[in-house]
Amino acid sequence: MSPAAAFREGLRRVNGAPALLAGTFAVTVMVSLPLAYALHGMIAAHLDASLAADAAASGTNPEWWREFLAQATGLGATFVPSITGFGAVLNNLTGFLDHTRPAATIIGVTAAWMVLWTFLTGGVLDRLARARRTRSQGFFAACGMHFWRLLRLGLFALIAYAILFGYVHGWIFDEAYGALTRNVTAGRTAFAIRLAGYAIFGTILLLCNVILDYARIRMIVEDRRSAMGALVAGGRFVGRRTTMVLGVYALNALAFLVLIILYAVVAPGAPRSGFTMWLALGLGELYILGRHYLKLLFYASQTALFQGALAHAAYTAAPVPVWPDSPAAEMIGNADSTESL
Amino acid sequence: MFGRFAALVALVLLGDAAITGAPQAPSSETSATRQGSAPRSPRNASYAITARLDPGSRTITGDEILTWRNTSNTTASTLRFHLYYNAWRNSDSTWLRELALTGRPADEPQGSDWGWIDVTTIRIIGADSAAGDLTTRMRFIAPDDGNAADRTVMEVPLDRAVGPGETVNVQIAWSARVPRPFARTGAIDSFYFLGQWFPKIGVLENSGWNCHQFHATTEFFADFGTYDVRLTVPRGWIVGATGTERDRRDEADGTTTHHYSEEDVHDFAWTTSPDFVERRARFEHSTLPPVEIRLLLQPEHTGQADRHFEAARAALKYYGEWFGPYPYGHLTIVDPAWQSNADGMEYPTLITAGTAWLMPGHTEDPEDVTVHEAGHQFWYGIVATNEFEDAWMDEGINTFASARVMQERFAPTYMIRWYFGGFVPWVFRDFPRIRELDGDRLTTYRTGAKGDAPSTPSWRYWPGTSGSITYDKTALWMHTLERMLGWETLQRILSTYFSRFAFKHPKPKDFFDVANEVSGQDLTWFFDQVYRSSNVFDYGVDALQSEVERFEGFGDKQASGAPHVELRQAQYRTRVVVRRFGEGIFPVDIRVVFENKEETRWHWDGKDRWQMFEIDKPVRAAHAEVDPEHVLLLDVRSTNNSMTLTPQSGRAARKWSLAWLIWLQDQLLTYGFFV
Repeated sequence: MSPAAAFREGLRRVNGAPALLAGTFAVTVMVSLPLAYALHGMIAAHLDASLAADAAASGTNPEWWREFLAQATGLGATFVPSITGFGAVLNNLTGFLDHTRPAATIIGVTAAWMVLWTFLTGGVLDRLARARRTRSQGFFAACGMHFWRLLRLGLFALIAYAILFGYVHGWIFDEAYGALTRNVTAGRTAFAIRLAGYAIFGTILLLCNVILDYARIRMIVEDRRSAMGALVAGGRFVGRRTTMVLGVYALNALAFLVLIILYAVVAPGAPRSGFTMWLALGLGELYILGRHYLKLLFYASQTALFQGALAHAAYTAAPVPVWPDSPAAEMIGNADSTESL
Repeated sequence: MFGRFAALVALVLLGDAAITGAPQAPSSETSATRQGSAPRSPRNASYAITARLDPGSRTITGDEILTWRNTSNTTASTLRFHLYYNAWRNSDSTWLRELALTGRPADEPQGSDWGWIDVTTIRIIGADSAAGDLTTRMRFIAPDDGNAADRTVMEVPLDRAVGPGETVNVQIAWSARVPRPFARTGAIDSFYFLGQWFPKIGVLENSGWNCHQFHATTEFFADFGTYDVRLTVPRGWIVGATGTERDRRDEADGTTTHHYSEEDVHDFAWTTSPDFVERRARFEHSTLPPVEIRLLLQPEHTGQADRHFEAARAALKYYGEWFGPYPYGHLTIVDPAWQSNADGMEYPTLITAGTAWLMPGHTEDPEDVTVHEAGHQFWYGIVATNEFEDAWMDEGINTFASARVMQERFAPTYMIRWYFGGFVPWVFRDFPRIRELDGDRLTTYRTGAKGDAPSTPSWRYWPGTSGSITYDKTALWMHTLERMLGWETLQRILSTYFSRFAFKHPKPKDFFDVANEVSGQDLTWFFDQVYRSSNVFDYGVDALQSEVERFEGFGDKQASGAPHVELRQAQYRTRVVVRRFGEGIFPVDIRVVFENKEETRWHWDGKDRWQMFEIDKPVRAAHAEVDPEHVLLLDVRSTNNSMTLTPQSGRAARKWSLAWLIWLQDQLLTYGFFV
């Protein structure tokens, strides 16, 4: 299967799983809503009965905003003007690439979301690998069955990414970049050096990421229980089919880039009031939905490639969830065995 | 008399100086003097300097002849000199000790960053050689903090004291290592910006020497004079400096000597680099003298030349019209190299701007920094206040004025943020820059509002909050003054102050006296609040009620029987309670707007902690405001300045929390990369 074919197959599989898209989107909304509600309370309390609220409700009110920020801590301190419109995307991307530490509250909710996503990954990959409906029972059975395995794999991922961001990133962007640009007097030269740094770091990050992706896929598709085994198998797959793997990755990255550019063009900036406010929210949520779609597409196309490459395209084995007996049944069983003794 | 004699002797003794390359003693009228024009300033500290830059060792070797006239009424038995480069000699300097207090340890020198200046010989010209050589008598003093390790002030006892009106000629040879740029002087690669680079005499006042150590958050103070400077740099390197280039000579050793001079200035700075791209433009105006503008650009910023010129023209036009003409006829703008830390600095007729490779249009820079630094030609260069002690007098007034120019000429400009290592810009067009918030810097003032009383000598400000007091608070109270008195009156105050104290060293009292005189008001109460105290202003509406008037109890004609309750439908009783939350006192207006758009106003002297105002009207109040015109720009919390009976905070909170929700979701998905 060529990368393009895998990508097309991924599109087909994601398009055929709208509930998956809706479900994952709903999870993200549900995780983030409580924090938004908390921020709502902070803003409302600060504005109180002030006329400043009128200006803030109908447009932007920079004076109030900065006053709010001057006293804000924790969650409130993340409410900065640059989170509006496309600034939100740039803030997050640059924060990720430049390894800017988010606020503690944000780290907490992000960690919770990642654990939740890890739980869902088993069901998501299972659904996408089967390319057929698994119903909620089958979906959550797969989630439960694979969760602890994925969590163990997540520990390996955590170690790998911790090394990458804790040491390699610092080495490239603090030490090497600092040394290389120490006597540079042109901004564009320094930027070129930084871009090279991004390229080097991005390549290492990509390799790490792609091995972990295929480890997850093999864990689910091949019902592997060993995280280490899946990791080795994932690495083996990437090593033997590097071009194909990178091709699929590149197509997905391109799709991501297209989405980002589209959003940069249509992102409405700071919301106004009434219809335009809801339009801004709608466009923003549409973009978030698009991000979910692309995340699923990433999984689906990589899974399709793996299945195509290892002749697992017809992988249709039904999940065989093994449920423990009910406590009552277990007691009866125990009683029977006692009697026989 | 002594001065003329000394100068004559100096010329005799240094008769061969021109041949050997050593400097000649400057006089108050050099060869470059404006033909037939009288000195604008006392010209009591004039320098003739020769200096050679060796980029290989990053050193300067120099020789200067200082002609200094004692303009005070006290006798000088010693001379005091600033040796600013010793601020980066080692980590024990007062400058670096104070820098550590600002929380910016990353700015500290590392490895080969250090710099120094050593005086190798110092002698009085005209005295016999034994008595004239003062080299062995040099000593370092620390008049501000007693830091024995600080070498930024040098004192030399004299055999013969210099009396009032007398002149002395001093020859000083020195060498200096140029540091990596600190405080906007130094070198990086082949870019050099050299300010405060030579031994410079302090200012003798009636009370004695005013010669402070170099401090991390304050700048400089010097007397006016003429400067005649020969700078030798590698051939092909472009030089920009205070004044204008008189001539240029290629030396046999592959270097070129550039000869610059200027009159009626109190400092001399210069820059050199082989990479500069040179552009020229001219400022012309119907009533102001023309100015030749020279721009030394970084090659990557050539596309921004016009933006620099437009900003310089705007500063020269508005400052010229508002305060007084720029008299020098030329201005050099230096666009400093990336990460040279040399941006945003002022020297007489020479300024540094600052921009970035991908700088978009309609943003703060390079316009704002260019206007601000060009504006310093007026508030610092011409009205030469003591930046060690009264930094607000140049930085604060100039911040106010440059914010005003930016609003007049370049508005709207928008908020900008830099991404991906600080290289990729994004302009937020929903957030225009606002004069009060960004120009006058209300936002940063809040962070250090209580830091110090501005009347404290600036060098003693807490380093971490000095900017809030020097720049922000002053700009805000100047703008408050504009709203109190009207721009016309404030402009007359500033132009009177400018013309009266051009080429002088005014003190705060001078400014306050002019303000009182021109405004025709005694503004002492105002200056007491904003200058002599660190009080913070915060007025707010504490309560607003507007209810149908309710009567309960015994009426006049019904003293017996049962008490009754009566609703007087025709009247709403509106009560407003305003409160002074801060310590600062300022008279304010209170405005109540009713539902039929009618208004009622009261004036409050603002002295008590609270005051209630009450009115009966047939309509209900809609909202109340304290200081509705926002005259008091120093009010640190304006959200509490108003109260409405139909709050919209829920609607605003919903809108903004939903906008933030998208950011949070995007954040989650970005970190979703890991799972």
